[in-house]
Amino acid sequence: MKEILNMMIVLALICGISGVTLAVLKQTTAPIIEEQELTYVQAPAIDQVLETHDNNPIKDRKRFDVDGRSVMVFPAMSGGRVTGVAFETSGKGYGGNIGVMVGFDLKSDTLTGIGITTLKETPGLGMRVTEHGYTTQFKGHPIEAVALTRNGGDIQAVAGATISSTGTVFAVQQAIAIYKTLKTQLAGGWS
Amino acid sequence: MQEYFLLFISAIFVNNIVLAQYLGNCPFIGTSKDTGVAVGMGSAVVFVMFMATGLTWLVQYKLLVPMGIGYLQTLAFILVIAALVQFVEMFLKKMVPPLYKSLGIFLPLITTNCAVMGVALIVQREEFGLVKSVMFALASGLGFMLALVLLAGIRERLAVRRLPVAMRGTPIGLVMAGLMSLAFFAFKGMI
Amino acid sequence: MSRLWKEFSKGLWTELPPFRLVLGLCPTLAVTKTADNGLGMGLAVVFVLALSNLMISLLRKIIPAKVRIACFIVVAASLVVAVELLMQAYAYPLYQQLGIFVPLIVVNCIILGRAEAFASKNGPLLSMADGAGMGLGFTMSLTFLGGLRELLGSGAIFGVHVAWEGFQPLGLMVEAPGAFISLGVLLALMVFVQNLQRKRRGLALVEAPGHDCKSCGCCGKADNA
Repeated sequence: MKEILNMMIVLALICGISGVTLAVLKQTTAPIIEEQELTYVQAPAIDQVLETHDNNPIKDRKRFDVDGRSVMVFPAMSGGRVTGVAFETSGKGYGGNIGVMVGFDLKSDTLTGIGITTLKETPGLGMRVTEHGYTTQFKGHPIEAVALTRNGGDIQAVAGATISSTGTVFAVQQAIAIYKTLKTQLAGGWS
Repeated sequence: MQEYFLLFISAIFVNNIVLAQYLGNCPFIGTSKDTGVAVGMGSAVVFVMFMATGLTWLVQYKLLVPMGIGYLQTLAFILVIAALVQFVEMFLKKMVPPLYKSLGIFLPLITTNCAVMGVALIVQREEFGLVKSVMFALASGLGFMLALVLLAGIRERLAVRRLPVAMRGTPIGLVMAGLMSLAFFAFKGMI
Repeated sequence: MSRLWKEFSKGLWTELPPFRLVLGLCPTLAVTKTADNGLGMGLAVVFVLALSNLMISLLRKIIPAKVRIACFIVVAASLVVAVELLMQAYAYPLYQQLGIFVPLIVVNCIILGRAEAFASKNGPLLSMADGAGMGLGFTMSLTFLGGLRELLGSGAIFGVHVAWEGFQPLGLMVEAPGAFISLGVLLALMVFVQNLQRKRRGLALVEAPGHDCKSCGCCGKADNA
């Protein structure tokens, strides 16, 4: 009996101490990890979808509450004025969620481009939605009537990757809905 | 249906867990000198991998995620796998002695078999659902068994051949594994 | 002092993992596509191994024998979680490259093997020296193998292009078959050199070491059965 008690105490003690230490470590590293993730995962997509800017969109990022959802918005600024925004939405793909970074031009209300951030698809098929030919269709597209051709829109789906194409378009439509609400909030300026 | 078929083929042949994903190499080299031993080890891995993946999936989505301690994943998974292996060993010993006799000695080896933990981690990274996860685990286990039994067959024949002293044992085992991996490489074009 | 040096230096040559002590094959094969990755993985293992050996050695008197493996696993896994967090915070590209092989350090036989074979029987200083030596030996092997595969597979080393013009990279080397074959051939070469020396001294020839399950805590039981 005493032996079992001893075993339980030692195990519980070791687990407890490591749990607390790790929780503290997690707390201290959390902000650094967030910054790193933004730099290595989101930044390439942000650069791809925002037009020329003279600021660091990641440094100037800000959270907005849009229709009860919290959205992280990355601004493109020139001379201190916000000219465009980018943020990430997601749609359902074949093997999981597809993360799509969508950029908007504030002045003309057009898309400045889309970039795929996370994608788990069948290699060779769904992957092709990351290809240049597919994503460039969104560049300069007005924010109205973004849809696949078979749904009466003008976006050509990637042959053989219908689910991924639909998922991407869904994510863009989501982003447009958010953008419309966001724009009224942005009228007051960035900071 | 087609999705699961593809998943099976992909996990067994195209992305074979040992020959293409580099997981479970220690038992692959360590227990492949005899076909009988290889079959025993293989079946034990199939069984434990299947159960461990299901269990860790539940731990991840019913425990870690709701409590917001996803960063403790590694710690939780290894404890679940170690406990599961212990439990299976005790259960088989009491309830199914014949099965324990054939699989029992391989069970303790499996806690540190990185293929088991590896598959549990892969299904989390791919964000598979529960059913897809356990199907993937089953297929991966079968892939492991296939590779192990094939290599054991080759090494049994090599054991009676004259080889340079320096190549005997582990080195020739690794080179043979490399040649098998090369053969499996050809499946890459299939999917 | 000399004892300390002995325990430290044995991991660098006489018991060099994974060549002399065939342990931890998965990371050895998986992350050695480039010298960079091999080095990064090796250093992560040094961190975990030295600290886990230190802690287990400090705790060795209070850990009950029956649950020692469970205790070793908790200590090692906590250190691995710490490495995961630190790597994400300070070396994110490396973390992305190594993928699931960072959490898989916990099932690397070297960690539990050294805990069981050395740290649970020796003092903290010696245990740390043993862990650091083994870890550095592992790092050396991984970096060397990574460098070799990178050189043959893409004509570069540490990402710097060094091959002459017209060099045809052997793409196979950076894929799985190249990993198995190059490790096997290197292992055979080491045994060959060892046997040349033994022959000169008139000793009997030896074969390559098998996968050493006995030095791993969990596996030890299986060998006795």
